[in-house]
Amino acid sequence: MTDQAVTGGTPGDDRSDRTAWGRIAAWAPYRAFMGAVTASPRRQFLILAAFPVLWVLTQHLGPMIQMVRVSLTDAYPVAPGVEQSFTLDNYLRFFGDPIFWQPFFRTLIFAATFTFCTLILTYPVAYFLARHVSPKNRMLMLLLLLIPFWVGEIVRTYAIMILLGNTGAVNLVLQWVGLIDRPIPFMYTSFSMGVGIVYLTALYMLLPLYSALEKLPQSLGDAAADLGAGAWTRFRRITLPLTIEGISSGCTLVFLISTGFYATPVLLGGPSTTVFSETIAGFFHVAGDQWPTGAAFATIMFLAALLLTGAFQAVMRSLRKGDVR
Amino acid sequence: MTRPILNRRRFLGTAAMTGAALASPAYLRRSMAQGSGEVNIWTYNDFVPASFKEQFESDTGIKVNVRLVDDQGKQFNLLAAEAPNPTVDIMTVAGHRFLQFIDSDLLAPLDVGRLSNWGNINPTFSESDWSTINGEKWGAPILSGMEVLSYNTDVVSPEEALTWDTLFSEKYAQQNAYIIQDMMSIIMLKMGYDGNMVAYMDDPEKAAAIVEEAKQFLIENKPLVRKYYDGGAEVQQMFVNQDIVLAHSWNGPAAALINDGFPLAMAIPNEGSYGFVYTYNVANNAPNVDNAYTFLNAIIASSEIGASMTKASGFISTYKDASNHLTDLEKASTSFPEEQLANLQFFRAEANELKYSLVDPAVEAIKAA
Repeated sequence: MTDQAVTGGTPGDDRSDRTAWGRIAAWAPYRAFMGAVTASPRRQFLILAAFPVLWVLTQHLGPMIQMVRVSLTDAYPVAPGVEQSFTLDNYLRFFGDPIFWQPFFRTLIFAATFTFCTLILTYPVAYFLARHVSPKNRMLMLLLLLIPFWVGEIVRTYAIMILLGNTGAVNLVLQWVGLIDRPIPFMYTSFSMGVGIVYLTALYMLLPLYSALEKLPQSLGDAAADLGAGAWTRFRRITLPLTIEGISSGCTLVFLISTGFYATPVLLGGPSTTVFSETIAGFFHVAGDQWPTGAAFATIMFLAALLLTGAFQAVMRSLRKGDVR
Repeated sequence: MTRPILNRRRFLGTAAMTGAALASPAYLRRSMAQGSGEVNIWTYNDFVPASFKEQFESDTGIKVNVRLVDDQGKQFNLLAAEAPNPTVDIMTVAGHRFLQFIDSDLLAPLDVGRLSNWGNINPTFSESDWSTINGEKWGAPILSGMEVLSYNTDVVSPEEALTWDTLFSEKYAQQNAYIIQDMMSIIMLKMGYDGNMVAYMDDPEKAAAIVEEAKQFLIENKPLVRKYYDGGAEVQQMFVNQDIVLAHSWNGPAAALINDGFPLAMAIPNEGSYGFVYTYNVANNAPNVDNAYTFLNAIIASSEIGASMTKASGFISTYKDASNHLTDLEKASTSFPEEQLANLQFFRAEANELKYSLVDPAVEAIKAA
């Protein structure tokens, strides 16, 4: 067998300067294998889909399925000598005890409120960035907005604590300018928690809004202005309806993230702001067979958040259709 | 042109090895934890003094791997998840939580015969009734702590700190904090009941009624509290930021602040409070059991080590003569007047199952209220 036959190379190939990868690519068995797997579009699809499917199954669905499985057991982790059995008691515990309903509904109300606040606060920023900043400066501005996200949630939460504490910057400034004599107790309230969550989620709202606003043709606004529409009318009749996709995406992201926050409510919240993630965490911290209850409660929260965002998306879809008509 | 390919390969190789390590089954992780010269410890912050760790590693060649924990329950769950082949050798269990770990077969009895320095521990701790269960010792006592009323001395007077009522007074509304779970025991004691619930083991209805009474008290007083907290660092931070001026706390974090020069003091109020002892325990089926005993024997070898643990953590050393190595300020921050110590009793474990089956839902109810 000649070298040419082994490598599958063509006459005249200069194999001496091939890279290692080049030699593998020219290797006959490799070429035969690649030829076989890419022979049909169906095979190509399967090969391309394999990794994403594996990723979703192991990294996304896997933990969720495991959580649901744990929620349907009466003991986890299973201590030596303990027998694990199937039960629905963990779900019934939630529906049978109103103690748990308050943090549950409080979480949903907080999440909806904070999502709305984030939208109201970030829309003007996104609008300014997309419509009034020159394209060459936009990346710089976006980079500046991204800087706080280079550090984690906990560090940013501590930054809020430094800002809002009794000896924090806000109180010091207010005292310095003579507006207050004693510090305002901002910390450990729904206000401090809200500030923290809005700050932490702002970018998840800002980017979809920016993307939607950037795609909006300037000519539409100009045409409306030519026809006599005022600024508010142009915003209400053109800008807002055509950015509803971004609003929908941003609100969904922020709402879902807000329902799951744990560290921020723990660090910034107070006695009357206990959210459902704290209740869930309580089951995982307490020694004993409480993990299944925590898993069941997490599943309930997950389903509720999913249902609410589904309903929200449906409303947004109907709004978009109304706009088209 | 070959460099990027080699880098990519290296990257892919590293990624594959990392993935394989993460995905490895328990027996593989365990074999990795069985490094010839290692001891794996789960403990609280500052419970293994840095200078001791360095010296121990240098003297023995045994590498000390510390994983920080902040909660007994989390430790229990982590260990239960790894049982019966844990990756940990030594954990830090509070004496009153022994039973739960022992009942779940998570701890190995301590072979005191392997600890030639056992006699360096004060017998008050090493030979007390709580430390012997089923005729065996289960841990080496290292530090003791107590539930105290900590207060900013610029604002609160020592006389005011002699009663838990101050914590719930209108005068200091929204300037206080406590750990609900611990406060439940204290409130029961304050109301004249046995916060350990040992007295009601045969009368669960009475136990439920007492917990309900304590729960209602804390719910009624909820508008006065600034923050329910969980860890020592949180209460330290609230004091430093002047968000609170008094709090129920463990003595360790408060003592650490006092030693830093913060205007803070502690009291064991007249209504009483509870004490606890932290112990180092050997995990059942620990992967490096010989190294664990070497470590334990070394850490109880001298009173200086006990003193350095006190300096770092603020908790009181259980070692004989450890206080001889403390400064006056450190001594003051880790000692209490005799009349206050008389108000102290230790947490007990006998009724834990009954107690926490009632207290845990009560805590949730207080948070939800």
